[in-house]
Amino acid sequence: MYRDQAQRGGAKNRFYQRRKICRFCVDNDMVIDYKNSKNLKQFITERGKIIPRRITGTCAKHQRKLSLAIKQARQIALLPFVGRPPQ
Amino acid sequence: MRKYESVIISDPDLQDQARTDLLDKVRNIIARENGILLDVDDWGSKKLAYEINKKLRGHYFCLTYGGTGDLVKELERILKLSDDVMKYMTILLSTDETAESLAKEAQDAEAARAQAAAPQEAEETTDSKTDDDTGDSDTDSTDSEESGETVTDDQN
Repeated sequence: MYRDQAQRGGAKNRFYQRRKICRFCVDNDMVIDYKNSKNLKQFITERGKIIPRRITGTCAKHQRKLSLAIKQARQIALLPFVGRPPQ
Repeated sequence: MRKYESVIISDPDLQDQARTDLLDKVRNIIARENGILLDVDDWGSKKLAYEINKKLRGHYFCLTYGGTGDLVKELERILKLSDDVMKYMTILLSTDETAESLAKEAQDAEAARAQAAAPQEAEETTDSKTDDDTGDSDTDSTDSEESGETVTDDQN
């Protein structure tokens, strides 16, 4: 039983996954700014929800700043609180 | 002194005169409360991500200024009372500013603006010389100069 579990979760069964990199750490020109809604749009879903960092690969430090910026952009109607549902 | 940034969404159907009046009002408040206005950025009429007061568009202004908390309090009180303003948001940019550093920054910003305006004029003249048939094209510039540590101060 022990063995089974080890095999199930083993490296053999897992499919290869590319290591995610924080885009803000790599590209120093990319600043997080609530006024730049075009940039922030890449980090929200069609519904307008903030995409978790386990998907985007953003580091914790930048994700905190990003979520703040998105929330500020929502306040001044640059980004939606609730987006249109995907067709 | 602290440095703040306010984004104001005004009514898109406003006359130009009413809009300049609104800006003058804001300027007066900043001057009255001993603030230093650093920059006024007119973003123009933009589509809103959601309806505000049953309107789908809004005219954006972005003001950068130095001042105290009382200035922000007074400014937001006036903005709240104004019918021309649909929504506003003030953000704290930095806390450790002196009147001198802000005055210097205001001067620098003015110099940079003057410098930016001069070559632009030169370009325009050369443009008009080369091809006359193309009118002035729309220039959509959303300058983002400052970001960094932003703290939501107050929101409506």
